[in-house]
Amino acid sequence: MRLRLDEAKCTGHGRCYVLGPDVFGEDEAGHCVLRMTEVPRALADQARAGEQNCPEGAIAIEGD
Amino acid sequence: MPELLDENQKIRLFLPDVMRCPQPAYADLRAKCPVGRMFFTNSPVVSRFEDVVWALRHPEVFSSEMDLQVALGTERPMIPQQIDPPAQTRYRRLLDPLFSRKKMAELVPAIRAHAKALIGDFAEKGECEFDSAFAIPLPCTAFLCLFGLPLSELPTFLELKDGIIRPHKFLPPGSADLEKAQEIRFSTGRRIYAYFEDEMKRRAGNPGDDLLGDLLVAEIDGKKLEHNEILDICYLLLLAGLDTVTATLGCNIAYLAGNPDQRRRIVENPKLIPGAVEELLRWETPVTAVPRVAKQDVTLHHVEIKAGEVVTFLIGSANTDDEHFPDAQSVDFERQRNIHVAFGAGPHRCLGSHLARMELQVAMEEWHARIPEYWIKPGETPTYSPGIREVMYLPLVWNA
Repeated sequence: MRLRLDEAKCTGHGRCYVLGPDVFGEDEAGHCVLRMTEVPRALADQARAGEQNCPEGAIAIEGD
Repeated sequence: MPELLDENQKIRLFLPDVMRCPQPAYADLRAKCPVGRMFFTNSPVVSRFEDVVWALRHPEVFSSEMDLQVALGTERPMIPQQIDPPAQTRYRRLLDPLFSRKKMAELVPAIRAHAKALIGDFAEKGECEFDSAFAIPLPCTAFLCLFGLPLSELPTFLELKDGIIRPHKFLPPGSADLEKAQEIRFSTGRRIYAYFEDEMKRRAGNPGDDLLGDLLVAEIDGKKLEHNEILDICYLLLLAGLDTVTATLGCNIAYLAGNPDQRRRIVENPKLIPGAVEELLRWETPVTAVPRVAKQDVTLHHVEIKAGEVVTFLIGSANTDDEHFPDAQSVDFERQRNIHVAFGAGPHRCLGSHLARMELQVAMEEWHARIPEYWIKPGETPTYSPGIREVMYLPLVWNA
């Protein structure tokens, strides 16, 4: 599974790093920072939770 | 349910009876007139998720620069809510770190203590009127914590907030004197500016270790904020930070009081509370709508919107749109996919969203730990205000 973040779309709702704290981090302003782009199977649920709960559609997942 | 469209096909939405349970009305609007016009104001009303979210993401088309169109007693636009990018972006870069989740987490112990103390005042009585006993004072104490102000200022702040948002409270009962209400807003506005101006003067040379202190030393591009800029930020925080969380607390507890199975679920498993807070933000959407002013002529679903018109975007309707939420009409605290926009979307995403979420979670935890079973007082009906759905009368009872 690969993760992509569209930084221009992120406005800092912070859903991703609350629901997937091992996959998503936050910068000083509370905007998303990816902790990884290749997601191991054990963290796939966290990555999906981040993607499924971003109101801006800033996170995309490729592969499974 | 009263008829949503009157004989002129105008929308009658912001009525107390509709606001108690607005979701069916939203569904009607999305299906029958995705862009309609409001009764009395004739303002266009937009109700489908994709249209609402598109507008919120395009301030160059639907702008927030409308301080003169909304009556909030201000003398200048509130910062950053009533200005658009790129000027707004510079303020957000400064303010976002001051309202980040991490920063707000520092306030948890104080908010938890206040919540416990408020509940402790009435828990043994077996009843309370939730709005006045809990939903109103808690967010106000959070605001005072944030600003490093003493709790004794609570009555002053409640009065200032009401002077702007509910000026009719200061008029004889039943009075609909709009001019007088507007006068009260402006005189209250002057008091708000003066209050923070005095507080800034008091801090000369010693800014303090709180939000106002941070604003006093903050710089944008190497330049300190001017006093008016700080005032315009404080004004917004006062108005935006109090009523919204009050309304959300009331909507949440009213929902849970009326849905005992859902209430039991979170009492038995408090880990569900963060999910319940999100789902109730979606379902109840206490801030039902946000206004924008059209910067150009736009035709949307065959309705012509003229440049300069104030448009109402129904985020409550967006959040219950079946096209974007599976099983949108049921309330599921374990919803897997929840892209609700209760805090807006795009560049104006609610600055205080992390503060609000923290207050709501702490309040829900503390309330249900102390008062796990409660009901709406038999024979009584809660009353909801329009626009921002504050449950202005929410009588609760429980076995003390």
